[in-house]
Amino acid sequence: MTLIRLFGAAALLSLSSLASASSFIGTTDMIGSALVGTSESTTNLTSGDDKVVLAAREDAASFVASAGEIRGAQLESALQLIRAKAPALQASDLELAEAILAR
Amino acid sequence: MTHPLLRLRLWLLPLLLSLATGTHAELRLQLDERGLDAAQRQVSQQLLDTAHALLPPAFLERLDQRIRVRWTRLPDAVHGRLVGDRLLLNQALLASLVDGSASQERTGRTHGTRYRELLATVLHELAHRYDRARLWSPPERRQLARCARLADTLGLVGLPDTCRGQTTRRFTLSDDPRLLELAGWPQRIGGRGEPVSENGLRERSPDPYELHNPREFLAVNFEYFLLDPTYACRRPALHQYFQAHFTWQPPRAEPCSPRLPYLNASRDYEKAPLAWIDPERVYEVDYLYAEANDNWVSRWGHSMLRLVICAPGRPRGADCRLDLDHHLVLSFRAFVGDLQLSSWDGLTGEYPSRLFILPLAQVVDEYTKVELRDLLSVPLRLDQASRDALVRRAVEMHWSYDGRYYFLTNNCAVETLQLLRTGTDHPALRGLDSVMPNALLDSLIARGLADPSPLADSREALRLGYRFDSFRARYQAMFSVLRQQLPISQRTVEEWLALPADHRQPWIARADLRTSAALLLLEQAAQRQQLLLAQDELKQRYLSGAADPRMQRTGEMLQSMLVQAGFLSRPAELLQSGYGLPLPAEWQELSSLSEERHRYLRRLSDTLDQDLRQLLLPQRRHELAAVESNLAQLGERVRELHRQSGGLRLESGTR
Repeated sequence: MTLIRLFGAAALLSLSSLASASSFIGTTDMIGSALVGTSESTTNLTSGDDKVVLAAREDAASFVASAGEIRGAQLESALQLIRAKAPALQASDLELAEAILAR
Repeated sequence: MTHPLLRLRLWLLPLLLSLATGTHAELRLQLDERGLDAAQRQVSQQLLDTAHALLPPAFLERLDQRIRVRWTRLPDAVHGRLVGDRLLLNQALLASLVDGSASQERTGRTHGTRYRELLATVLHELAHRYDRARLWSPPERRQLARCARLADTLGLVGLPDTCRGQTTRRFTLSDDPRLLELAGWPQRIGGRGEPVSENGLRERSPDPYELHNPREFLAVNFEYFLLDPTYACRRPALHQYFQAHFTWQPPRAEPCSPRLPYLNASRDYEKAPLAWIDPERVYEVDYLYAEANDNWVSRWGHSMLRLVICAPGRPRGADCRLDLDHHLVLSFRAFVGDLQLSSWDGLTGEYPSRLFILPLAQVVDEYTKVELRDLLSVPLRLDQASRDALVRRAVEMHWSYDGRYYFLTNNCAVETLQLLRTGTDHPALRGLDSVMPNALLDSLIARGLADPSPLADSREALRLGYRFDSFRARYQAMFSVLRQQLPISQRTVEEWLALPADHRQPWIARADLRTSAALLLLEQAAQRQQLLLAQDELKQRYLSGAADPRMQRTGEMLQSMLVQAGFLSRPAELLQSGYGLPLPAEWQELSSLSEERHRYLRRLSDTLDQDLRQLLLPQRRHELAAVESNLAQLGERVRELHRQSGGLRLESGTR
């Protein structure tokens, strides 16, 4: 039935973009939105930065879980941004990745 | 074939003649005054003088002819017509020229008034005359003769790339391959110089007559080049073409905004769709390639372009490579406004092909997480000017293009290659005939146009965004971590994901931070899997015509949403006025119209989201809820462990 599948991908994309994916996005955002924590060192981010950090959560999870083995570009982008915002920050990549994951 | 000496004499002759007469030869417009009274003569002469003064100096000089102009009876709809060396104007319009009403009368067409239409007519017909006169420069003439000779001896297959489309030229401009591709008739990929027959740049045209054929396209655009001070901003590529040809531009050409408006086809309905690209901010353009998978629609992969745009305030440089949330993707896709998909329609060009401009993050998500495919991002070796022109061209197409998607002959690779060719005018692209995305990447690399070196080190490529890995591999890696850390009995990631969410839940409390991270990613995989299953079930039930009226209603809503979202890839439908790129004066209207449509989409999307959840089969709904609960627990677990370890905390600012 390969013929039927011809536009399967396109249909899937439109379906996911229009319907189910919104709930999916809602869920992943929900994990990130609750803000808790009592740690001493904090870094302030603007809302634009927030977006970059949120986008890096899955990369951060991969990085933490793989002990630094899997290092995606979205994590790299967030690391670059955090270090640019807080040049004095003394933190390893792993520490920052954990902080992103715990956002 | 013409004897070389004879050819030499042919173009020497006019030269000698002009020397003999001793005058500076140029185009003369001679009014046929017979039957005209003094007032009629005067306004007619003024019209011709004005037209003459508008013409480029090189045009006047090269078209060294006398054109007789006369008012005569013509069909109502026709303003003028060229017959041999005679320009006939419709005498029905003469009275309005005499009493001045022609300058007041609005025609409802792009030129505005009757008088401007008449002026445009004179320029239009003269353009035809110029075009037919084969006014090639001596070097061009030599090149065309050489190409014709080579075509005779070598045939089209052995022809050098520079001769493509140059072997049987008959017109000064309207069969120039460069003009043709800018006009929307690019050379067919694999067609050995032959242009495509259908012009896809049908939107936002100043005058649909231009799409009739390349001769009319030339004449119509010549009118606007000379008469419309905003032509350079509305059709920058064509303006540049005319400017280069005449080594001149109209003195009144207006300066253009450096920012180019576009509609972002992001599915994030919270963000305003109207946005701007500043070509100055584009650091690099990558060929973005989604690797093939088992689906046969994607067996050859998907071709796209990625604009590496620098974040505001960052100087253009390598650091921009990581400004991922500013990067955009140009992707030609079949626009499918129908749930009832037909493969036959895909093969026969029933689906419109549109240029979507999307945020990179969304494209990366779609391919690596939903479709589980790798993405390769290979920088193109383009100089600043080519890159700039390519970006402009892409935005022009975004506003004007509404092509047909043919799976085999006009697919994403073909369209991406056409855009690259037309946008950059790079000589190495002319002879490139790949019609499949994977082959196109290889060809670009082989011709030195794409630089694969950043991909040599796979880890670095991943870190710096030259490669985005399929999450299939990540899920495997996460599962390995899980197996090391926890005594689970499942042997494969598939088995783990096939477990009911309730059975995965008890492991959460036993996981350390590292394992929680792995569990989190795997739980997201489970969620995506459930959503895809849900989607498929809904689609099947809808298509099978299941009697549930709620299902039908939701299906119709979804259908209407697909259609409504069409404007994001066909922004032309938002504006009724203007042509080409919208000018700053049109941005306000554009902004309010696009946001209005967006709000409507957002409302539909929210309703749909709720309705679809209601329509899910009970066991699917239960499973999704359980996965969501697992995800929430994992999020909490991660934060808790992080807090306990006294980890660094990132905080939202107020700005």
